Amino acid sequence: MTEKEAIKRLLKEADVYRNQGLLSDSKAKYMEILSVIGKSKTLASHKQLIDGVKSKIRAVNRSLNELKDTLERPELSEDLQHLIKKLFSFSQTKEASAIEGAVALAKFGQYEQALKEFHKLLEQGVLPVVIAKNMIKCYAALRIPQAALVQYSKWKTRDFFSREDLKYVRAFLKTSLEKEGFKVEIPELEAMPSLPSRPKKKNEEVFLEISAVSIQPRGGPLSGQTMDFDVHFQSANTVTILIPAAQKNLVDSLVPGTRLADIQCYSPITVFRSTGTISGAAQIKQGPRRGDYTLDITIDAD
Amino acid sequence: MAIFNAKDRIIECKLVYYGPGRGGKTTNLEYIFKAFHKQTDSEMVSINTMGDRTLFFDFLPMGLGKIRGCDVKVQLYTVPGQSRYRSTRKMVLKGVDGVVFVADSLEVRRKANLLSLKDLAENLKEEGNSIFNIPLVMQYNKRDLEAQGIPLLPLEMLEKDLNSKLKVPYHMASALNGEGVGSTLKEALLLTLRHLQKEIHWTK
Repeated sequence: MTEKEAIKRLLKEADVYRNQGLLSDSKAKYMEILSVIGKSKTLASHKQLIDGVKSKIRAVNRSLNELKDTLERPELSEDLQHLIKKLFSFSQTKEASAIEGAVALAKFGQYEQALKEFHKLLEQGVLPVVIAKNMIKCYAALRIPQAALVQYSKWKTRDFFSREDLKYVRAFLKTSLEKEGFKVEIPELEAMPSLPSRPKKKNEEVFLEISAVSIQPRGGPLSGQTMDFDVHFQSANTVTILIPAAQKNLVDSLVPGTRLADIQCYSPITVFRSTGTISGAAQIKQGPRRGDYTLDITIDAD
Repeated sequence: MAIFNAKDRIIECKLVYYGPGRGGKTTNLEYIFKAFHKQTDSEMVSINTMGDRTLFFDFLPMGLGKIRGCDVKVQLYTVPGQSRYRSTRKMVLKGVDGVVFVADSLEVRRKANLLSLKDLAENLKEEGNSIFNIPLVMQYNKRDLEAQGIPLLPLEMLEKDLNSKLKVPYHMASALNGEGVGSTLKEALLLTLRHLQKEIHWTK
């Protein structure tokens, strides 16, 4: 193959990649052509050819920059947002389906519409802590920490959050904003007037309230993966988590008696590691979470 | 996670076209929409950004008619191939019943194919699924470019890179002119419906 033929072949290749939208590959090929020309005794002075290739590189660079500048997640039309909600909500119940739809909007970068949907759900009293966490994620993604703080202040005056819920939401807000690089001061919750309390059982005296746990199953298809769960219920050192029906294989790998060598426990005031044992598992037979599973984890007390 | 309505005898399943960016996933769906217009239930939804890149997903619902007395509906999706859209791919994979992996035959896209297949395996695993269990068909796309003298990966290399462990059916294709698109879809549907028969006995 002559030098001219080789250049012609490379040019064709580069043009095809460019037409295919493979801009980086196209640019690399044009650069290769310049390098071949530079080494050639007969073509090195061929100004018209060199200028032609350089002009193609400039055009590819322009396309690459335009791509970089394109909004990562443009706001979609109402119809498309509605379609996303419809296609990505799988639950049978109205409430669960509405939450899934709003979460899907957020996952597809439709944060503002997602916030509207979450607001509506919160006003209806649907799973306030779950909704609050998702709203905080949206504010963080939109990079408007002040809006998140204002929202949190409003939540403090509403009655759908218990004091413990608020402590958890505050901790989540702080972590989420810090993760996005925002340094914020969030005032601690005011101390409650002390009330005479009932005598506590031994375990309750030493066990903190746990809001969420991270576990790593040691068997089954999800072995070794870290999985996070909100705590649905807690009695002393036993916490109950909910596992969706679709993750039955996870439940199958966590039969009662299974030891968990590493559990990360999140409480409103601290995070700590512990060990524990699966102490119960059952499928929910009725209600909105019908078909899902409950799993009891007894966390080692010492 | 197919939906089976035993009372009305309707089954609805989800097929996702996966693969590296600019590999031809959307072109597959566009061809299907054009060629199987009678079976498509509505317009194809495609949300693109500059340069025709899929930014969210493409969606095409189809009705396959009655199979063994059951009305079979299928939803076809594509995912955005660019690496930065991983969370979107995970979202689109939720509840998937079958996958078509559209590999780019261009020699320069060898690494992109490998990374995309690895990404698919990881995302399926995170959904509690496995690339070894899900109905999967490989499609080696852009074979028409060989005639233009563009360097392509030979079949043996594509099979060695992508299919030596999975050993799933493969199809050579040129989605732009429709070659291999129909046969890929038919095989993927066949595998998916067979798999669902074992799981939920929809033809009983």
